[in-house]
Parts: sequence; C-alpha cells; structure tokens
Amino acid sequence: MTTSPKPTSIAGVKHEGTYGFGAGLRLDAYIFNNGLRVLLCEDHSAPVVAYHTWYRVGSRHEHQGKTGLAHLFEHLMFNETENLGPGVFDRTLEEAGAESNAATWLDWTQYNIAVPTSELALVAKLESERMTNLVLREPQVESEKEVVANERRYRVDDDVDGRVSELLWSTAFTRHGYSWPTIGWMRDIQNFNTQDCEQFYSTYYAPNNATIVVVGDTDAQSLLPLLSEHYAALQSASVPLEDVRPEPPQTERRVSELPQPVPTEKLSVGFKSPALGDADHLAVTVLAEVLFGGRASRAHRRLLRDDEIATDVRAFVSPFHDPGLIEITATCRDDFPAERIESALNEEIERLKTEPPSVEEIERATARLELGQLSGLETVDGKASTIGYYDTVLGEPDASLRRVDALRRVTRNDLLRVARRYLVQESSTVVYVRKSAPEEAS
Amino acid sequence: MTAQVFVEQSSALPLVHMSVVSRNGAAYEPAELAGATRFTARLMRRTGGGMAAEELDEAFDRIGGSFGVDVGYNVTSFFGTTIRRSLDAFVETALKIVANPTFDAEARERLRRESAAEYTESSNDDATLARRWFRRRFYAGHPYGRSVIGTPTVFEAIDDAAIRRRYDAITAPDDLLFAFSGDISESQARSIATRFADALPQRSADARPEHAIWPGPKGRHLTFVDKPERTQTQILVGTHGADPHDADYPALHVANTVFGGTFTARLMREVRSKRGWSYGAYSSLPYARQRRALRLWTFPKAGDAADCIRLKLRLLREWVDEGVTAEELAWAKSYLIKSHAFAEDTASKRVWFPVDVELVGLPATFHTHYRQHVQSVTLEQANAAIRARIDPANLLVTVVGTEAEVGAAVRDAIEDLDSSEVVAHTDEC
Repeated sequence: MTTSPKPTSIAGVKHEGTYGFGAGLRLDAYIFNNGLRVLLCEDHSAPVVAYHTWYRVGSRHEHQGKTGLAHLFEHLMFNETENLGPGVFDRTLEEAGAESNAATWLDWTQYNIAVPTSELALVAKLESERMTNLVLREPQVESEKEVVANERRYRVDDDVDGRVSELLWSTAFTRHGYSWPTIGWMRDIQNFNTQDCEQFYSTYYAPNNATIVVVGDTDAQSLLPLLSEHYAALQSASVPLEDVRPEPPQTERRVSELPQPVPTEKLSVGFKSPALGDADHLAVTVLAEVLFGGRASRAHRRLLRDDEIATDVRAFVSPFHDPGLIEITATCRDDFPAERIESALNEEIERLKTEPPSVEEIERATARLELGQLSGLETVDGKASTIGYYDTVLGEPDASLRRVDALRRVTRNDLLRVARRYLVQESSTVVYVRKSAPEEAS
Repeated sequence: MTAQVFVEQSSALPLVHMSVVSRNGAAYEPAELAGATRFTARLMRRTGGGMAAEELDEAFDRIGGSFGVDVGYNVTSFFGTTIRRSLDAFVETALKIVANPTFDAEARERLRRESAAEYTESSNDDATLARRWFRRRFYAGHPYGRSVIGTPTVFEAIDDAAIRRRYDAITAPDDLLFAFSGDISESQARSIATRFADALPQRSADARPEHAIWPGPKGRHLTFVDKPERTQTQILVGTHGADPHDADYPALHVANTVFGGTFTARLMREVRSKRGWSYGAYSSLPYARQRRALRLWTFPKAGDAADCIRLKLRLLREWVDEGVTAEELAWAKSYLIKSHAFAEDTASKRVWFPVDVELVGLPATFHTHYRQHVQSVTLEQANAAIRARIDPANLLVTVVGTEAEVGAAVRDAIEDLDSSEVVAHTDEC
C-alpha cells in the first residue's frame, strides 16, 4: 500500500491506499464512515463487473448446538426483504443477466454477483437492501432448513469423501470452531428457529463487518457515488469480540474408522498446519505440492506408479485464518488395505525429513502453483474472489500476488524445517474407510 | 497442408491456451471397443516421444504448463495452458504427445490396470451412476449410448492394433482444428499449428459414418440403480430434446430457460423454493451433432423421491400443454441476451465460438448472432417448439437409491409406466 487514508470527493469516504495487482492493474481501498470497506480493481478488458460482498463471519464463529447457522443464513439472504417480495431478488438479477451465487466457509461468508456493466447500479441497490432489510419469517426459515438438509445429504451423508472429511476435522479438533462442518450437524440444522436467524443477522450483517470488492469495467468516479447512495446511511453494528477457542496442542495420534458401501478402502490423514498468515504457510504449501501435486510428485510416483496400490492421492493445505490441517486423502486400489497406503505414505514423509526436495522439485512445485494462481485471475469473478479472500482472511487484498513472488524465495532448508515441524505422527489424525459388511449394507 | 487455425489474442495475463481438436470422437469407434478413443488419447499423453508418463508430467510442470486430453462422442481434444515465457518448451512437449506417441507396451498395461481401478472407484459417486445409466438406456443401440470412458471388459480387450487404428483416426491432419487464445500473436499461432500438421503423417481422414437419428424412448421406462444405505436419491427424467440444426432451436432454448434453466425457473421454484425437496432442480438442453435428451435433474431425500417424480412429470406435462407466458418469455430473453456477456468475456471463451461452429456443424451465425436469435423468438414460436419437440408420453426415468426402501413408491409415481428394471450399482455400464 502506498498512501495513508485521505478524503475523497465523496463525503464520508476515505481512500485508504493503492496496491499493485499484476501487470497493468491496481487495487484501490476505500473506507466509509460506517466502517464499510470497498476494494476496487478497474479491468476494462470486457464490459462486465464482478461485485462481491464478503462478511467476516463463518462457521468458526458459531457454537456447538448452533452449527451451520452461517451457512443457513447464506441461503436465507436470497429470500424476502422489506422492499422485495419472495423470489424477487434472484428474479430481478437474472433478468439483468447476472451470474449470482454465494459461499460460506470456516472464516467468512461471501455473496458474488457478476453483471454487464450497465447493471452495476442495480446490484448496489439489491445488495445494500439485503444487508440490513432482510425479512425472516418462519415459513421461509423452515423451507430453507429442508433445502440445507438436502444439501447436506448430497454433499456429506451420501458422499463418502464428504463423510471422511467431516470425521477427520471433528476428530483432529476438539475445542476450536474448525471441529464442526460449515454446513452444520444435521440435528442443529433441523433445530434452528427464526429467532436464531434474526439474532445472527443483527449481529454480523452490517457495513462494518463487510468488504465490497468490485472488479471490472468501472472506475472510482462511477462507483463511489453509487455505493455512497446505497450504503452511507446504513448503521454499523456492534460486532462482538470473537469467542476465541484456541486448539490445544495435539500430542497423540487419533484414529477413527468409517464403514461405508464403497468398492475399495480409503485413507485420510490430517497433520496440523499453520494459519494462512503464518510465515511457514507458503513453505508448507510448496512441500505439499512436491509430495502430492500432479502425477510427477513423490506420492503419485510411489503409490500409483511404483506400488500400484492407490487410484488417487491428493492433499490440501488449509488456507485459513487459524491453524488447520494438511489434509491427505487416498483411495485404495483393488483389495489393498488402507494401512498399506498409510505405510508407503509414511515412508515418503519420513524421507522428506532426511532427503529434502531437490531444487528441481521445488521449481516444479512453484511453477505449478504460479500457473494455478494466474489461471484463477482470468475472469473478473476470479480476480474478485482472490482479492476478497485474502482481504477477509489476512486483511491483505494483494497477498496472493505477493505470495507468488515469495514462492521464489522458498529454499530446501525451509522445506526441511516445515517437514520436521508439521509432518509429525504424534499430532496426526487418521480415518480409515472400510467396506461395509454385506449385512450392514442391506 | 493449411491447418484450420483460430486465434483470439489477449495480453491481459501472461498465459497461452492451446487446443488441438479432432473431428473424430467416441461415436466412431467400434461398438465392442467403446472407450478405445479415450484409452488411446490417454496413452498418447503417457508415451509422447517415448518419454515416460511422469517425465512428460514433469516437463509440463517445471515450465508452468498443463496438458490434458478430452474425448466426446464427436470430438477428441488435446488442450493445455502455459505461462507465456515457456511457450516454446510447451509446444515441444505437446508435439511429442500428438505427433509421436510410442504406445509403449508397459505403459499400455499400466493404463489398462489403472483404468479398471478408476472405473471401480467411480461407482462411489451417485450422480455419475445416474448419468451413466441414463445415457446407456436412453440411447440404447446408438453410439451416444456407449461409454466414452470404457468399461473393464473393454480395457481388457483393447490391443495395440486397435489403439493404432484409433490414433490414425483422431490425428488425421485434415480433421484437425487448432485454437489459440491469450498472450500469443496470430502469426505465432499459425506457425505452431503448421508444425503440428507437418509433424503428423500426411494421411486423409477416413469417411465417418452418419449415424441414424435415434428416435428416443417409446413409452415410459424406469431404470432403478440399487445402492445400499442411500439417504437421498438421484433422479433424472429425460425425453428427446434439442438439435441445434432445427429452425426452432432458439425457441426451444428460450422455453427451456423458463422451465428449468435458471435458479428462479419453474422447476427450481416448485421443487426447491416452495417445497425444499431438493438442493438443485434443473433441466438441461445440451446440443451436439444429433438430437440429445432434455434432462431434468433433482436429488431429493429418499422419502420425497416419489412425490418429486410425480411433481416433475406434472410440471413437464403442464409445460407442454400450457406453454410459457409472455411475461416468462420476456424475462428469459432478457436473461439470455444480457448474460451472454459472460460467454464472451475472456479470449479463451471467444475462441471457442468458431471452433464449435465447425465441430457441431452449426449455422455460421449461431454464436455471433446469438442475441438476435434469442430476441427474435416469439411466444407462439416458443410454445410451438415445446409441443413439437418435447413428449412427456415417451421418457426415461433413472433413479439411484436404495430400492428396498423407495423402489415401489417410485414405480407407483410414474403413471403409464411401460417397463421398469432394477440394476445393481456394481453392474458394468
């Protein structure tokens, strides 16, 4: 960022600063008097605009017994408002040619709309309307609970990978809000009432808990007066201090078994990983890419090519506000037991602690990560998602590009250090997926 | 020869996308070797220039490139993306795959084993199972009813001679199109395309048979895919749908948008918004060289499956009998015309328009005059197209669920059911 906050020509709006955002693009940050944060990236390559609203509330802010509320609320935000009848919000946006969706995860809730540039004013009007004027009635809440329950059946209950991931996280975390799934436990989903929703809305949906990211064919002269018209009068809320529940260190290996009607066994392993803002996060990301990224990676070569014991192996490093997991999943081939994959995997992990990746392996991993990062920036939506994500989780909207630059500074020593620090059996969690016995299946 | 090359330049990002596309796909492989084209293309990807699969992967990875293959019924594509600075190295490796695969025996056997294992694993996904059985039964006897990915039986049967025959078929130079987009000039693109065309053996493409137009299902049929422990069902309802060569295709396209093409369309409103029965409820109207199915997709919990089918069939019947309203038509046209901005907002999307016209044999203005085609649709045309093309009396319902729990109720929900079958989720398809 290059400047300190300065007034703009719009009353109540200050320019916080400017960030570089790749060749030919820049990112301007503004703050409204009511706390609303606005990030603008002009991109005139096509006559379209992405308009994302990020709320700094996710499932980690919930409590046991009320899990899934942030996600249920994401659904409810498409219902009635004081000035828009049921279904009018979506219908109006579609008539304007909008692509619209929303997402909730552990740290945030996000609403994304992309429209032809000519429809930008409509989006500002509709998004500001639902920020403070949502109407919550019992029939809508009940109907949406049923939709969410069906979503849960689809993504978790009847999806073995969803079941495994849920079990892994709830076993690995005992206190922190990352222990429950964003979609919530089924019993909690079914027990929500209108009062729960009203309380959640008044607590977290306010301009001072949100960032609007606009990317596309517009400029500050057009955008700021528009946003001021629709948002400047909105009242900020008293967002409570987060009830932080740090996860205690894990000192022993935790194991779970999950019988499922699967044709082959599966394995999932979680090692505790650093938070996205931790200095080690990038090195862990590169390490995971060396070990699991693509078919030339160490794990693929070992499990799929040499031993032929797996049909698939992959890993995901949590990009979260708080420490998460390096989540490894593998599917057994034929009748090999999950322990056979685990054993080979552990050998490869131990090898990393004595034979750190070569320079060539690191170059391969960083080139893959760079390609992935660039590919995500092709559309205005992709840019807005990237900017909003890093701003909400880290408070650094340009962090994704800075991470690409930092990739080139990751060394073999860094990887050796993080392999020894994080890939520790005593703080791992394992889920074995077993084939259901026929009598269980029937 | 002069290669057919399409280029859409954009220097917004330092990326180049390249596709080498053959007009030959899975519809032209022998019926007893369904899946051979995809197997061949995957083996090319693993033996280019005599390199091992992991060496090829490493060659792409280390330059910031990716390269894959995709097979459809009428198309085989070799496609990739690279960071601009690595374009030369990317092309060198891609050339080895397309023009000089060695089909090494060890790699072939390895792929055979891998493919069988992947097939087994794929039965975990209920939506995949539903689509697979729907396709198999809906287009029974037609090439569109065959499996593009193949089955364990086919993986065992594919030999070196069959692979080389499919290779010759999908790399005949006069069957190839080249598409480039991103940070590349037209002259660079043409030069690369020429290198590919010149590197391939100069042979003419075999004449491809024109497959008979498939009449679609006669009567109402149910295929129930039985899988244990399902809390939910995957339900597909299909009847014959669109052919982009029909004069009334734009009208049917607009009418389907009203019925099930968006989040506020009739299907979603009735199934999800009003009743909360299914997270998603859509009707899709894909197009290809020949008429494809109109397909309605929902996934309600097991206890709602029968009611959901009943509702879908009623909505389908009402759509045909009563058509769409003037208000609905105006809304759908506005949505389609304005949202078309997102079909052409990047170079990699825009370059696909002329390629699609060539591959599917579409009218030249299909994409370039899309907005005009939609705008010109009248209410009479939309409703006439529904009546002419959609037939609720002749359809296929495919359900994945636990048969013992919901099978009887599902059969009861389908009036005038002519036949039903139960298959196991582990059956080869």
